[in-house]
Amino acid sequence: MSDPSGEMRELAKKLLENGEVDRIIGWEKGNLWYQSPPLFITRAEETDRLVFDDFAINSLVTYLLDERDSGKKTGIFVKGCDSRGLVRILQDKQIARESVYVIGLPCSGKKDPRQALSSGASESSQVPPAAKCEECLYPNPVIYDVIIGEAVEAKAKGDRFAAVKEIEAKTADEKYAYWTSQYSKCLRCLACRNVCPACNCRECAFDISKPRILAKENNLSHNMVYHLTRAFHAAGRCVECGECERVCPMGIPIMQLNKKIIKEINDLFGPYEAGVKLDETPPPLGTYQTSDPEEFM
Amino acid sequence: MSVKSSDAQEAWEPKILAFCCNWCSYAGADLAGLNRTQQPPNVRIIRVPCSGRVDPQFIMRAFQDGVDGVLVAGCHPGDCHYSTGNFFARRRFLLFQRIFDYIGIDPGRLQNRWISGAEGDKFAATVSKVTEDIRALGPNRKLRDEHE
Amino acid sequence: MQGIAKQDLNKVLETLSGGGAALLVPMEIDGVTRFARWEQGAKTALGAGNTLLPPKEALFPQNEKVFNYEMSNEEAKIVPSAAAAEETIILGIRPCDVRAIQALDNVFLTKDYVDELYKTRRRHTLLIALGCTQPAPTCFCSSVGGDPLQAEGADIMLWDLGETYGLEALSDKGKDLLKKIDKFMSKSRGKKPAAGKFSLEVDSRGIAEKLHNMFEDPIWDRWYQKCLGCGICTFICPTCHCFDMQEKHTGQWDGYRYRCWDSCMFQEYSLMAGGHNPRPTKKERLRNRFLHKLCFFQERYGMLLCTGCGRCVRECPVGMDITKFIKEVSEVSLNE
Repeated sequence: MSDPSGEMRELAKKLLENGEVDRIIGWEKGNLWYQSPPLFITRAEETDRLVFDDFAINSLVTYLLDERDSGKKTGIFVKGCDSRGLVRILQDKQIARESVYVIGLPCSGKKDPRQALSSGASESSQVPPAAKCEECLYPNPVIYDVIIGEAVEAKAKGDRFAAVKEIEAKTADEKYAYWTSQYSKCLRCLACRNVCPACNCRECAFDISKPRILAKENNLSHNMVYHLTRAFHAAGRCVECGECERVCPMGIPIMQLNKKIIKEINDLFGPYEAGVKLDETPPPLGTYQTSDPEEFM
Repeated sequence: MSVKSSDAQEAWEPKILAFCCNWCSYAGADLAGLNRTQQPPNVRIIRVPCSGRVDPQFIMRAFQDGVDGVLVAGCHPGDCHYSTGNFFARRRFLLFQRIFDYIGIDPGRLQNRWISGAEGDKFAATVSKVTEDIRALGPNRKLRDEHE
Repeated sequence: MQGIAKQDLNKVLETLSGGGAALLVPMEIDGVTRFARWEQGAKTALGAGNTLLPPKEALFPQNEKVFNYEMSNEEAKIVPSAAAAEETIILGIRPCDVRAIQALDNVFLTKDYVDELYKTRRRHTLLIALGCTQPAPTCFCSSVGGDPLQAEGADIMLWDLGETYGLEALSDKGKDLLKKIDKFMSKSRGKKPAAGKFSLEVDSRGIAEKLHNMFEDPIWDRWYQKCLGCGICTFICPTCHCFDMQEKHTGQWDGYRYRCWDSCMFQEYSLMAGGHNPRPTKKERLRNRFLHKLCFFQERYGMLLCTGCGRCVRECPVGMDITKFIKEVSEVSLNE
């Protein structure tokens, strides 16, 4: 893949100069070679800092929520997975389509900074592709105003529900033991929620203190309720960007639950992919069919 | 509230919480009572406006606080007082039961039934059946918020 | 220098934990490196650098009961909790984390406020520090006044000398403990090793004085935007010590009050009862965290609240890098 940084900078500069957007969100090079954190710029002369390298893994679309009431127009770079998150936010009517100028970037997979560090690599070529990119179905943006670079072909992948099936095959007590060992690690830092494009409520249930819906005491029971509630809230709305699992410092396999939900929704209510088409019907749990499976008679 | 971890288990009786919709299932429960139909005393009822009102969080909270099983009962599909509430509920609980199964909690601990206001007998029979099922599954400790 | 052979490590650990003391060593549990109770057969992660979770939870647990309450006969009864007075040895703690405990000591034991729960735990805790010969890519202790090889405040100091661990007692408690493992000790040929090269370096001198005048500086506008507002940095920080007090009702008339870790990065942290929030956006919250680390704590206790362990640099999902921030602050010119 050729480096699109030059074109990105040029376009960003033009957009800022002619006042088409108030700010640009992209990525810049961090202090360490394996970091390409988010960058916010408002002045044309800063556009030279923009990069799009192996570590531009962060989705930037949740940042749009911070300015949802400002009336500002944002130019934003999106990869395939990020664009589905953007569709999610637009479908949920959190921002207006006119308030974003979307610059699409086809993506052949990114690398995870934490993996770069733990693998002891000293340069990008030694770092394996990020886990979340291994099962990518949409390497090309599904929504954009302009696209930079050639479309990328989705690599033929294995079964995206393989990990889910592995868990399904366990006995009830084995499943419970597995999930409790994972959820007991949870620090409740809420990073998975904050990074999630489907978690775009103005006020999250977990932030409400009167009445307190989730106790602040960190124990297994509350941690499980936190994760199940969040997964269920995102049911049918999760765009599989995998950011939740990537940001989790404790390595909780959050996507294994989200994927299970996607799998069951497909089986029960017909195939569905969230955040792919902007003008589609409501997500599966926001609608119904009289012909849905009947098990409660 | 939470559950004391040392609570005696010898004389265990299933503790079951039922969410009944105001318009059908709660009336069904009422009819079962009026008819003096025999049913086990293990079920406590919370009346809700509609089965569509039942948030999965309510169910998890019930398990956290020590119930052994939950029953959600509403109007038959097509009979919802609000036209469509139970259709949404149906999708929600079909999915939620499968999540329960996936994390290792027996899906039999979360049951759903459509019971109309005229079905007093069905209500009593459902309560008996659910109680039997939960008794067979034994006391639940999963998801419980315990304290010393 | 005295030393113990690495092959004797298990026997040494066994001896140390033998007297009924809780021996906490770095271990990998379900993919997370943290300090956990060592038991015979457990595998240590002593050589794995800094643990993901700092040892602060041994002294300041994430949840801690403060008192029980119950109502009976129209009378309220309150029973304060007593901290567990179990002898605890933390082995393999790195010098940055020892300094972090000194910071916690300042918070919980000085300035006319003594936290009894913390004090009891602290008094029964003995620290065996392990010097760092090779700093991790995210380490920067030497830039904030730390020494990777020497942990002032520890009871015993260890150094990895290849085949052996060199050791030295730094306190009387440490000397007494060394007597218990006397039979494993031999004269080691090794010398205290030299520190490896740091890849992250920054000059933090005068940062507190400078930041004191930068509350309204535009630097905050540049820094806050990418913050996610999650609590990773605060929860994995060895010095972050903010907590909330909450009650749990265990029955209709009884329950307990507990304290639990809280994070200043959360919106709810500074939310007041009437609904006003003096730190309404991520900007104010990030500013508060950085100022607390690099300015307020220095002014109150004479030390930075950052010990350069590098955990936040490593784990922040948006690459918030405090060393880069320090550097940028030093480049700001303040025209009075």
